[in-house]
Amino acid sequence: MHYDLIVIGMGLSGLMAAKTATEAGRKVLIIGKGIGGLALFSNSIDVLGIPSLAGPETKSLKDDLSQWILDHPNHPYGKIGAEKIEEALSSFNALFPPPYTFQAKNGSNSLLPTGAGTFRPTYLIPSTMMKGTTIKNKKILLIGFKGYKDFYAQQLADSFLCRAVTLSLSGMSQAEINSTTLARWMEQPTFREWIGTEIKKQILNEELVGFPAVLGLKDPMGVRKDLEKRIGLPVFEIPALPPSIPGMRIFRRFKERLIQRGVTFLLGHSVSKAYVNRERCERIEVLNPPLLTSYTADCYILASGRFMGGGLKADREKISESIFNLPLSQYEVREKWFGDSFFDDHPVHGVGISTDSTFHPIDESGRPILENVWVAGTILAHHHFIQEKSREGIEIATGYWAAKQGIDSL
Amino acid sequence: MKLKTEVLIVGGGATGVGIARDLSLRGIPCILIEKGDLASGASGRNHGLLHSGARYAVTDPQGAIECISENRILRRIAPHCIEETGGLFVSLPEDDLCFRDQFLQSCEAVGIPTRLLSRDQALSIEPELNPELLSAIEVPDGAVHSFKLVMENAMDAEKMGANLLLHTELTSLLLNKNKVNGAKAKNLISGEEYLIEPSFLVNATGAWANQFLRLAGLKIEMALSKGSLLITNQRLNQRVINRCRPPSDGDIIVPNETVSILGTTSVRSDEAENFETTPQEVSLLINETSRLIPSVQEVRLIRAYAGIRPLLQSAGVNGDRAISRGFTLIDHEARDGVKNLISITGGKLITYRLMAEKTSDLICEKMGVRIPCSTHLTPLSGATQASDVKTQLKKLNPTLSKEKKEILCDCELVERGEVERILIDCKLKEPLDILRRTRLAKGTCQGGFCLYRLLGVLHERGMVQKDSSNLLKGFLEERWKGIRPILWGDALKEEELIEGIYKGIFNLTPTHPSPLEEGQGGGARH
Repeated sequence: MHYDLIVIGMGLSGLMAAKTATEAGRKVLIIGKGIGGLALFSNSIDVLGIPSLAGPETKSLKDDLSQWILDHPNHPYGKIGAEKIEEALSSFNALFPPPYTFQAKNGSNSLLPTGAGTFRPTYLIPSTMMKGTTIKNKKILLIGFKGYKDFYAQQLADSFLCRAVTLSLSGMSQAEINSTTLARWMEQPTFREWIGTEIKKQILNEELVGFPAVLGLKDPMGVRKDLEKRIGLPVFEIPALPPSIPGMRIFRRFKERLIQRGVTFLLGHSVSKAYVNRERCERIEVLNPPLLTSYTADCYILASGRFMGGGLKADREKISESIFNLPLSQYEVREKWFGDSFFDDHPVHGVGISTDSTFHPIDESGRPILENVWVAGTILAHHHFIQEKSREGIEIATGYWAAKQGIDSL
Repeated sequence: MKLKTEVLIVGGGATGVGIARDLSLRGIPCILIEKGDLASGASGRNHGLLHSGARYAVTDPQGAIECISENRILRRIAPHCIEETGGLFVSLPEDDLCFRDQFLQSCEAVGIPTRLLSRDQALSIEPELNPELLSAIEVPDGAVHSFKLVMENAMDAEKMGANLLLHTELTSLLLNKNKVNGAKAKNLISGEEYLIEPSFLVNATGAWANQFLRLAGLKIEMALSKGSLLITNQRLNQRVINRCRPPSDGDIIVPNETVSILGTTSVRSDEAENFETTPQEVSLLINETSRLIPSVQEVRLIRAYAGIRPLLQSAGVNGDRAISRGFTLIDHEARDGVKNLISITGGKLITYRLMAEKTSDLICEKMGVRIPCSTHLTPLSGATQASDVKTQLKKLNPTLSKEKKEILCDCELVERGEVERILIDCKLKEPLDILRRTRLAKGTCQGGFCLYRLLGVLHERGMVQKDSSNLLKGFLEERWKGIRPILWGDALKEEELIEGIYKGIFNLTPTHPSPLEEGQGGGARH
């Protein structure tokens, strides 16, 4: 089967690339082993949350980005530029019309409360979490659930100096309560009625009610509205341990849109081999035992992620790229991959694929290696997304721009 | 607080608690102080080997005799802390067969039963062994749950009246010419200070022996040797697998419940604390032990750790492997003229009971009383508890029991009830101590998820108040020491997940101020 563009990887960068290509009228195949960090880590959209910059809630993100790009020309953002990053973010935003939208507050980062009782600087915030940015000035009641081990309301209450209620769900017949179970229950009106009544009884002088981020998968704003009606107070969500329900919402929305637009969606499959001839990828093979299927395309987007996603592999001696065996940016011997403290900015996280300004992979001398392959997402070199708080921003911006470059070549 | 007692024991390792139990059985009152938790030194950082003595038969026959004798006693008094695995000494083509013959003769001479197995016999009982092997010798090695052994001794001693003060550090000694009149100690958590006035003082501090003796102006010749070990995420062998050659690095693989432990190295160390396993040691251990079991090259490792062996030096010996692993009992009255001070050091986990017996005998002799030791006859009180397979399975897998349970640690199936029970029963003041008392955080993710959950439970129980992110950071740094040396392959993938959670979603940073102390006015307080 032949396509205009094949995307390898179904994380946020791959999805963004597929969306961009299909909206340009191209025939697209997207192949993914899994859905990347989306379902684990993504709640809001981090773009750049370095505290050493002027800091959150002070400067506009655009100014931060411009400064960052000046200081880090090799960073993936440096290849795109602040203007075009905004363009990519707008394209992402267009997927989420009201009521469930992603918005920035005053064009700058906001501090969002987290499930560890800390705050995280983030940029685009989903509607269900927005009120979390105001908790410093409000009286809050936090809600937890007995037996739900990925969120402890009392721990947060001790950090945020507010009150917590942990509801017992002994009436529900379920062996284990996790984020997914809770999100499913939240979609049932009877469940909301029950917890809503329970919570209302517990309200003293609070002004806001905080939940773990499990307010349903399909219609979070409907769930929230109904809870607010029953409790009588505004409600917001707080990011919890993985899996991330808000991340799954993003995935669902992308999947819906891509399938609607005719994108071929191969989830649960991985590329076993790529055939390269004279600096062009000719075809790829997908092994789904006992079937081995070949696909061809005019251009390919490599968005296979880092170690967890399988884009990079590390053994005791070396790190390598899994599909094309592309050269990696310089890295040290294993002894130096990680620092002495867990909190160090570990050198291994900077390792990745070096590209030219159009996201073509390059060799040590800076020469492009594959003329019809573009690289996107966290597998790129020269960023430290965990430290920078730039995960989703890099994925969205590079996925968008790598696909644009691919389309332009057609 | 002022405390009077007959014997003050300093050090809560196997030796210290062994002495506390021995004295208590003899009816002699004692207090034990330990600056950390029980077994936080070498007693909790070893390969958990129930030595048959065969390893020392050629080089140290006296040590070998002690081992085989204690091996038999421990099987009797602590069966619940032991897995009777048996052991093999495997000869590979590059090993000198003369050593094998010498080994067989030496074992016979010291009374260690052996059986020579052919290559095929050995492979049929241990299929993961290197098929190149020439032969294997069966010996009565076993696996011992070292922390459990220490805990059981401590609990027994406490039941009989011994007073155990954990997280309590010795700060000074009150000396009067030829006698120690008192010891000052401080609880490191509550800050409470003690003045303890014992008739006798025992230094059972292992690697810290000289730090203790410095307080009395004394010193003994002692070397510290770091031994590093690796834990695999699955059990590769049923028996203890040894290399049949003179003692050397990477010559043993000990099975332990669901994992195998690869050991060990021997590196001279200057410090009793703040040491870690180097990547070079990791490579050396993998390369050497994979000669015994080749799949070590591919298996996922879950943690590296190291312990410090206190070795007594005698003149004219070259190399730490040649320094005696035997123990030394020092009567400081005879050596330095300090009447009521005794040091017990060196030795091995397996000889802890014998070391305690000899120390207690010396105390009795100094007291002028004749009460015989009974630790070799009296089983630990936990030994009588039922431990049939069904009960153990139920404990291991709570889903088998009908009750609905909340699993905190998904890797090791540790449920919340168990953790809460221990928090209450042991009256734990230091949250990290729970990690030595359960399998929590011992599995593949090494606490990546359950440390966060433990913290949540501590908050719900009111054991932690206010912002606890520093506690969480402490957990994570402790965890890091063990996993940093083994980060490649699947372990590296998992690390990306854990960093993504704590440094990503939760934005924990080493310098991050607590959320409401950012100078923007408290806000949510009410």
